[in-house]
Amino acid sequence: MEAISHAGAAVGVLSKEGVVLAAEKKIMSKLLETSKTTEKMYKLDEHIAAAVAGITADANILINAARLAAQRYMFTYDEPMPCEQLCQHLCDTKQGYTQFGGLRPFGVSFLFAGWDKHFGFQLYQSDPSGNYGGWKATAIGANNQAAQSILRQDYKEDISMDEALKLVVKVLNKTMDSTALTADKLELSSVTRDASGKVVYHVYTEEELTPILEAANAAAAAAEESSS
Amino acid sequence: MKLDLSALLPDSIRPKAPIDAALDDVHLPGPTGANFPLPDVADVDSFERQVVEMVKPSHGTTTLSFIFQGGVIVAVDSRASMGPYISSQTVKKVIEINPYLLGTMAGGAADCQFWQRNLGIQCRLHELNNKERISVAGASKLLANTLFSYRGMGLSMGTMVAGWDHKGPSLYYVDSEAQRIKGERFSVGSGSVFAMGILDQGYRWDLSDEEARELGRRAIYHATFRDAMSGGTVSVYHVTKDGWVKVSGDDVGELHYHYYPAE
Amino acid sequence: MIDDAGVHVILTSIHNSPLALFCITFFTTGNFVLFLRFNYLGSTMDCLFGISGDGFVVIGADTSANQSIVRMKTGEDKICELDQYKLMGAVGDGGDRVQFTEFVKANLSLYAFRNGVPLSTHAAANYTRGELATALRKGPYNCNLLVAGIDDGQPSLYFLDYLATLHKMNCAAHGYCAMFMNSLFDKHWVPGMSVEEVMKLVDLGIAEVRARLVVAPPNFLIKIVDKDGVRVLAERKTATEN
Repeated sequence: MEAISHAGAAVGVLSKEGVVLAAEKKIMSKLLETSKTTEKMYKLDEHIAAAVAGITADANILINAARLAAQRYMFTYDEPMPCEQLCQHLCDTKQGYTQFGGLRPFGVSFLFAGWDKHFGFQLYQSDPSGNYGGWKATAIGANNQAAQSILRQDYKEDISMDEALKLVVKVLNKTMDSTALTADKLELSSVTRDASGKVVYHVYTEEELTPILEAANAAAAAAEESSS
Repeated sequence: MKLDLSALLPDSIRPKAPIDAALDDVHLPGPTGANFPLPDVADVDSFERQVVEMVKPSHGTTTLSFIFQGGVIVAVDSRASMGPYISSQTVKKVIEINPYLLGTMAGGAADCQFWQRNLGIQCRLHELNNKERISVAGASKLLANTLFSYRGMGLSMGTMVAGWDHKGPSLYYVDSEAQRIKGERFSVGSGSVFAMGILDQGYRWDLSDEEARELGRRAIYHATFRDAMSGGTVSVYHVTKDGWVKVSGDDVGELHYHYYPAE
Repeated sequence: MIDDAGVHVILTSIHNSPLALFCITFFTTGNFVLFLRFNYLGSTMDCLFGISGDGFVVIGADTSANQSIVRMKTGEDKICELDQYKLMGAVGDGGDRVQFTEFVKANLSLYAFRNGVPLSTHAAANYTRGELATALRKGPYNCNLLVAGIDDGQPSLYFLDYLATLHKMNCAAHGYCAMFMNSLFDKHWVPGMSVEEVMKLVDLGIAEVRARLVVAPPNFLIKIVDKDGVRVLAERKTATEN
């Protein structure tokens, strides 16, 4: 639990048209190839993705288990695995490691964003103990308390995809240590559906991120201005 | 007192028991040193298979059971045959599982006896665990589940589980293919087709007790008359709400002269 | 020596010839014991058919329980109600049929309890296929199935045989009856049939089976699944039940 609250933050917001996930990038080096790999966003199946806060090595094990479970489900039922079941499956695994001595629990919290035919778009959060719950907007990792209070303030029931996008960036902007957000400091992804009903998982590129961040920074500056 | 440990000694220094001495004269095929006799045939394996088939008696049988307003009637013959040979005329083909449950025997006698006694154990355990008698439906399902787990492994049984439970008289047919069917009248065995004719013609739900007993007796008698592998005596059981009673056991020869007196 | 896959091709093509089957199994000693267990005559004498219509599916089956040449019972329900919106018709060896349908039914209920939502018909059919396929190589279940259900008002019908072949069909049949009924279904089935039209087709099929099939079963039970759930739709009898 301690490790999680120091880990890079991740925020998720649910809207009618889709789910937005955003996460803070901790590793920063000029030499790092950032465009090819994501640090804490993982696609689990065609219809569901996860954001991670905590020990990445632990997360990799669980992500692998989740991908396996999703494919097993597809093999058995020839249908995509319902989001909650996938989340529950992972939490069952996590819980197992809290019950017996000698083994260390997984030091990871997850945000799951996905779509299924039963409940449409969904956002789930899980913690290392194996607890999980469905949320409209939530945050894990460093400063999650602060992040959640902003979300509570700014979340609207009929929030649009664009607004959700702005909201997660705003939350990260306020809770991260650095003064101004830049594209190399965060990852942003979305789960939506296209015209044919196919679920689309999209990770924003640096080029796509920059205008969003500039707008957010401008808005933050404006807010600063008016309050002072 | 000195213990006799001679059986543990090696063959060479062991004093010869009279039976071993007798065996010295027997021709033993197979590897030398085999100290138990094998049948003197070319192919022991296939011979053994044949023998197993032969000593599985009671393939020819007639058993029947039906429910009616007065309870359940179970009637059976008593002949056991091994191929053309009648091995017994006094076989007990009704297995008394408990005072309220009867099972019948067709197919492999040993299979039926063993698994129905096993069923008796399961039923008694159910009683002890649940403080009430098991239903006929439940008992027959236990048997069917047991047989299902052994399906395709050579069991040969065609059995009826009959009795009285909280819903009244009840009857199930269960076989070694694990088929389990509920019904109001069944007949099983090589003579069943003959008995079925009599049974179907004479059956009504509102038969009186005496009519029902006579119908069962008559159906088995006619089956023993036409089916060479059925015969001996006709046993009739009647299950009421107070449990089963054996009503009669008549020699089929005497029954024949009873139904068709010599002129 | 015919290899494993080869046997199956031939098996499916001459599904209904017990003698030919015996010859094949005899020469493929590897699977001799496995296949000899099947009572082909017994299971193909059973009759099972299904037709989908406008917002509903109808499944019909005979109600006979046979033991060699003797009909032990004519009131056997061979169409299992898996849940409120799913039917599963099954024909085959008595024990296998009951045991397998009960197994599937229990597992679907377990899924619904665990996850709060029931499986779709498509998922249930695929799950059933998987179970049959796993069982095929270790003491198989000798039963042929039809799975029908309604999902959000949409009807679907799946054909599933004991070799675990799964097909989504508009209409389907199993056993000797399939020989007579399939051609009639092919000729008369059109999209969007009403219950009355489908029942006419059912009666046409039953009449043909009774007229031409030597071992035609006497009684039939017909069930339906539509937006209101599953229920018995009709019975067609020529013999009194016992």
